[in-house]
Amino acid sequence: MVPLETSLQQLFGFTTFRTGQRAALTALEAGQDTLAVLPTGAGKTLIYQLYGYRHPGCVVIVSPLLALMNDQVDRMHVAGFRHVAAITSLTSYGERQAILQHLGDYRFLFLSPEMLAQAPVLTRLQQVPISLFVIDEAHCIVQWGPDFRPEYLLLGAIRAKLHAPLTLLLTATADHATRHEISKQLRVHPQVVAETVDRPNIFLDVEAVANDAEKQARLLELVTQLQGPGVVYFSSKQLASETATWLRDQTGLPVAAYHAGLASEDRFKIQQQFMQGDLAVICATSAFGMGIDKNDIRYVIHYHLPADLGSYAQEMGRAGRDGQPSVAILLYAAGDERLPQALNQANRPDDVTIQRFYQQPSHFDPAEPGIALLQFYRAHGISEQAVSDLFARRERERAQALARMVAYVHTTTCLRATWLTAFDESAPAHQATCCAPAGQPLDLAALGLKRSVVAPTPAPARDWRQQLTRLFY
Amino acid sequence: MEPADLLQLLSDQQARRLRVIENLLRGRRTVSTLYWGLRYDLLYLLDLNKHLPRGGLDAVAHTVVANGWAQWGSDEQPQLRLTSAGVHARDQRPYYQPGDVTAWPLLDLNVARQRLLLAIQVTSEYAHQTNRYYPLAVDQATRQTVRRWFYQVRDPALPAQVAAALTATLATLPPTVAAVTTAGLTGYQQPGQTTQQLADQFAITSWEAYLMHVTAVVAVAQAARDPHHVLAPLLAPTWQSPVTRSAQATLATVMTGTPLDRVAAERHIKPSTVREHLLEAAIMLPPTALPYDRLIPAAARQALLAALPQTIDDWEYTALPAELQERYDFFTFRLLAIWQHKRGVD
Ligand SMILES: [Zn+2]
Repeated sequence: MVPLETSLQQLFGFTTFRTGQRAALTALEAGQDTLAVLPTGAGKTLIYQLYGYRHPGCVVIVSPLLALMNDQVDRMHVAGFRHVAAITSLTSYGERQAILQHLGDYRFLFLSPEMLAQAPVLTRLQQVPISLFVIDEAHCIVQWGPDFRPEYLLLGAIRAKLHAPLTLLLTATADHATRHEISKQLRVHPQVVAETVDRPNIFLDVEAVANDAEKQARLLELVTQLQGPGVVYFSSKQLASETATWLRDQTGLPVAAYHAGLASEDRFKIQQQFMQGDLAVICATSAFGMGIDKNDIRYVIHYHLPADLGSYAQEMGRAGRDGQPSVAILLYAAGDERLPQALNQANRPDDVTIQRFYQQPSHFDPAEPGIALLQFYRAHGISEQAVSDLFARRERERAQALARMVAYVHTTTCLRATWLTAFDESAPAHQATCCAPAGQPLDLAALGLKRSVVAPTPAPARDWRQQLTRLFY
Repeated sequence: MEPADLLQLLSDQQARRLRVIENLLRGRRTVSTLYWGLRYDLLYLLDLNKHLPRGGLDAVAHTVVANGWAQWGSDEQPQLRLTSAGVHARDQRPYYQPGDVTAWPLLDLNVARQRLLLAIQVTSEYAHQTNRYYPLAVDQATRQTVRRWFYQVRDPALPAQVAAALTATLATLPPTVAAVTTAGLTGYQQPGQTTQQLADQFAITSWEAYLMHVTAVVAVAQAARDPHHVLAPLLAPTWQSPVTRSAQATLATVMTGTPLDRVAAERHIKPSTVREHLLEAAIMLPPTALPYDRLIPAAARQALLAALPQTIDDWEYTALPAELQERYDFFTFRLLAIWQHKRGVD
């Protein structure tokens, strides 16, 4: 077999791997199940793409995010890969049948966990050689949230039914306890390839503000002064939209909102505008970011408190993928933790509901939050008591995760140290380019992140004939 | 939709059911929705916003009422009528009027626009010799159709042909419509503006921007009915009868002179369904398409018209004398209203 570097050159035209990629591939080539804990932007997808290129059979990728999967298929097509498909709940019946009938022709197959759990799909998969079984966002196996997919709990059994193929577990974030839990759920003893989650070129900043008005004013100040492009994260669609309009009016900058409430056509356009540099700022919800391949994002501001350090790291980690100085700013007003707290509790059916559900499951609407999950547990023979304990444990875990997020905000010494310690890593010694906890000033000029010239927005060409000409000639 | 958009769909002369407007937008084709759509002159709204949730206009309607621009009627179904303040607010700034919209319900708009937009993107990328780009997120069927079309027509002259075809159509439309439509197109190094961005840029509402876009799509599809048009293979098949296949079949059988109850037996459908099909056809097709004379004999017409008020909107079947209700069913009553409407007798 040719060396890994030769394949890399042939397939991608690169000569060197990024750290982590080579270690994971080496382990896989040695037939070793692998858990790769690599930060966002470390090029996780390259690992299975390259492995699939070097070995016959189909690479099956299980991913929890529908939007992400179709996006991945598109990206792989753009990158020149062929025989790539996705089966999700959004795939039409006819299309699904067509893919399953010609399953042997596919080299890369993306599946949502609930599709994989379906008997016809599983039966077909048992008949084709699987070169690699990939579980993307593997932390979802143990994590709890609106995105939680109970089917992830079945993956261990499903993997066994597929004759325990070589398995690659991918995640951007997992402390030691999470790694252990992932391995246990999947019944594997993987080699762990972990890279530091630290992003040394991202300056960390927390700013305490007195109230919403002050927060808004500070946001305006920052957006006006910072070198773009930037992303501002909100936890509400409405606020993201309103603030985008407000910021555009106040600054004259090209600002747009991005959230799950937009039509897919509009999401596509905003994403492409941002990629090609037409937009200075995106006001987004957590729906933004998956599949965004933009290296020169200079700042990420959080307007609301994220629910845990893992999601915070994921979102702010979209800054500075090019390795250039960037900044992650978290705006915090006392009491901001109440929103994620309330969401944590609201996401979980209480004991009375669980009890009533187990007595009369047919009286409940699966569209209600949490009921589908209860149906799933009940269908899989999990007792009422066990479910109740499970929910209680999840809620405790979420509360602890939020407490660590709040501890980050209240850090007085080194933000990086607080963050990395939460992921069982030790931080480099604090220095001037490291962080500014609440109360310490943020010197944008010193960081080289102050906008030098305010570039006027170029007036869009109004003449439609010229615009048509640019499209076609 | 914003208050300004809803004002355009309301009237001070006629109380209008909010639910009818909502159902037209969502493409719920019940006979009652279609009938009132006809009476309100709003049938062009059919299918324009399939993603609108049920009750999706309630909030904007409440704003319109709160601003004193319209009042709720006392009917069991919420009806809105513009106040004089509402008329004033509506006429305060020019609002885009799409002009002749009779063709809109004849086009499968959602299919046509997806095909058109993707074809433009594919051609534009081809013109710039790129074959690796993010295609617009359209459904699989559209992707396949456009791909097939592209492989058939692929030729260095294609971009110029598409450009010429689009220019020819857009030049016949108001300049703003051409500008808004073009600025929203996606192609090589042009992601295109979102509806919201177009609205901001042109100082119009998002809905207005969308109406302009629809106007252009319908116009291009109209031009593409010419078999020599470069987009004809894609767009010509998106023209359809405004009447469902099933209703077309019923109408065809009725046209042979078969009595309605025999039609039902022959087509294995309920007699009430035959009548619904005929009402649907009556609403959506020109008056010559139905044998009105046979369906409403002269005696019935005279008896009913003598008992009914002048204005069709004031007609109520249940307000007819019991003896007339006994003799003429609701179908005859409603068909007469449609016929009167179509003949411009009001
Ligand atoms: Zn530090």
